[in-house]
Amino acid sequence: MFDYGYLAPAMFVGLIAIMLFGFPVAFSLGALGLIFSVIAIETGYFTMAFLQAMPARVFSIMSNDLLLAIPFFTFMGVVLERSRLAEDLLESTGQLFGPVPGGLAYAVIFVGAILGAITGTVAASVIAMGLISLPMMLKYGYDVRIATGVIAASGTITQLIPPSLVLVVLADQMGISVGDLYLGALGPSILQVALFCLFILAVSILRPKLVPPLPKEARTLSGWPLIKMALWGIIPSLGLIFLVLGTIFMGLATPTEAGAMGAVGAMALAAVNKRLTKTVLWEAMDSTMRITAMVIFILIGASIFGLVFHGVEGSNWIKAILKALPGGQTGFLIFTQIFVFFVAFFLDFFEIAFIIVPLLTPVAKSLDINLVWFGVLLCINLQTSFMHPPFGFALFYLRGIAPPEVKSSDIYWGAIPWIGLQLALVAVVIAWPQSVTYWLGGGVQLDAGQVQQQLDNLSVPSIGGPAGMPGAPSFDMPPPPSFR
Amino acid sequence: MTKLLSISDAIDRFNKMMGIIAAWMVLLAVLVSALNAGSRYAFSISSNAWLELQWYMFSAMFLLGSAYTLYKREHVRVDVVYSSVGNRGRLWIDTIGFIFFFFPMVIIIGVMSWPYLKTAWVTGETSMHAGGLTRWPVWALLPIGMAFLALQGVSELIKRVAALMGVQELDLTYEKPLQ
Repeated sequence: MFDYGYLAPAMFVGLIAIMLFGFPVAFSLGALGLIFSVIAIETGYFTMAFLQAMPARVFSIMSNDLLLAIPFFTFMGVVLERSRLAEDLLESTGQLFGPVPGGLAYAVIFVGAILGAITGTVAASVIAMGLISLPMMLKYGYDVRIATGVIAASGTITQLIPPSLVLVVLADQMGISVGDLYLGALGPSILQVALFCLFILAVSILRPKLVPPLPKEARTLSGWPLIKMALWGIIPSLGLIFLVLGTIFMGLATPTEAGAMGAVGAMALAAVNKRLTKTVLWEAMDSTMRITAMVIFILIGASIFGLVFHGVEGSNWIKAILKALPGGQTGFLIFTQIFVFFVAFFLDFFEIAFIIVPLLTPVAKSLDINLVWFGVLLCINLQTSFMHPPFGFALFYLRGIAPPEVKSSDIYWGAIPWIGLQLALVAVVIAWPQSVTYWLGGGVQLDAGQVQQQLDNLSVPSIGGPAGMPGAPSFDMPPPPSFR
Repeated sequence: MTKLLSISDAIDRFNKMMGIIAAWMVLLAVLVSALNAGSRYAFSISSNAWLELQWYMFSAMFLLGSAYTLYKREHVRVDVVYSSVGNRGRLWIDTIGFIFFFFPMVIIIGVMSWPYLKTAWVTGETSMHAGGLTRWPVWALLPIGMAFLALQGVSELIKRVAALMGVQELDLTYEKPLQ
């Protein structure tokens, strides 16, 4: 336990205590790092020079192209939410699938998957689907818990289906290619949609009263008007999917640029639907800026914490503990997945990605675990952090827009089977790694480094090699400032 | 105290303006990045300057916007304890947090980044990429951002202390910022 000295364990306990204290995470993390760096310098773990790297680490966050995807995808999500795209899709697919038992639920899953392939944020999907589908499902006799559960879960699936923001951030923190992680997530995304549909199918067979088909009088559209409406929803969706995912997979754009083009596409779509008002645009800019500032400051705090934790032998300590787990690879995977599942009750996805993931990645690497596989597993598991009652974001959004007759307890209970389905997928993917790795390999990939190379006429090597130390969040370091 | 509160007010107004600048960076960065990618493939025109402008704007976005985010109380917390201690408890948590966590971190980063800015300025450091940008403006954003953030911290601390002394009300009920 104390083979690596007392400071690392003390710092870990300090981390839990300071987070529970309740001051904003970003500053608590940074302060904890600084407090322990004073002790570490006093006790000779490292010297002041070690700390002087800190501004360079902040600078490497500033100059990290990949992190730009955070504001771009967030902005795109907010604009899409107002653009009526989801409404058109939901109304037409609801009419299409309506006649079968559970039809409205299938429509929600289907639209959730399409929205997931367009955008990278959960809020946009859940809010749009909750506003349209929830009242409709309740009106035609759906069970409240099934209705809220399927909406929250199908909105959350956005986080797994590329171009997901979670995958971008995980790729950055694990030092792997976003393109690979996107490809790896394709198989599990399909499996997750299938699991959701199977669940609804099972409910519609075992308890048909909970998911009744749409009655005849509710099926207002048919024939040509229905087809037209469906096309009106599906064509812009395909366009946006091409603009974002297509350009990434064909190697035309980096994930960041694809996010920017998707944002422009979303604005264009909103403009066509006459929804792009000054207020909408301003709100999107304003909320995107605040989310970005919040997230990046957590990353700054976490990287100070990570630097010092590494300096006091923390990463070696964690590595020793995790490698001592029984069961080798599988033991490690099962333990970390359970750990992340429980941590997700208290921490959001960004905090987990910035604090926990950099500690786990080097261990996974040293156990010869395919990092893409590990990243996809984490991503599936992190879906549950959006679904945990009572703090999960998806439930929280749903609470905000659900009609008053929907009780909070219904939303919470409704989430539980779906969390089970998400965990079931974790188990499936652990047992069946080919579901991830099958898609890897071929395919053109483009990362910032290649773009840079295309642009560079000079032979100066540009975006540098692996920066930090193992165990610390890895960034592309900027060229070191010429000092003194 | 009233004097302090009017200082706090002035700081809030100032950082709101910075917030507006930061919010515009979002739209500008989106446009620059999309145009950059588009023109690279449509016309094979592109430059490192545009590519670097993106992350200069990104830096401005979160460094200038962070103070306003603090004002809006949207830096995320773990609220297990915070939401159960009542308003007075929250005021104390914040007061202690600002003094012992927030100021040390923000001031130390700001001060430590100063030599980097000085070096970038003195040496006229530019990007290593052909046609890249001069580095000092983006280095300058770091101490500037931290200074504005520290200022906002002063304003927030004044408000908490005023509330603890009963001079004015401050409801710190915490709602998770949406993401």
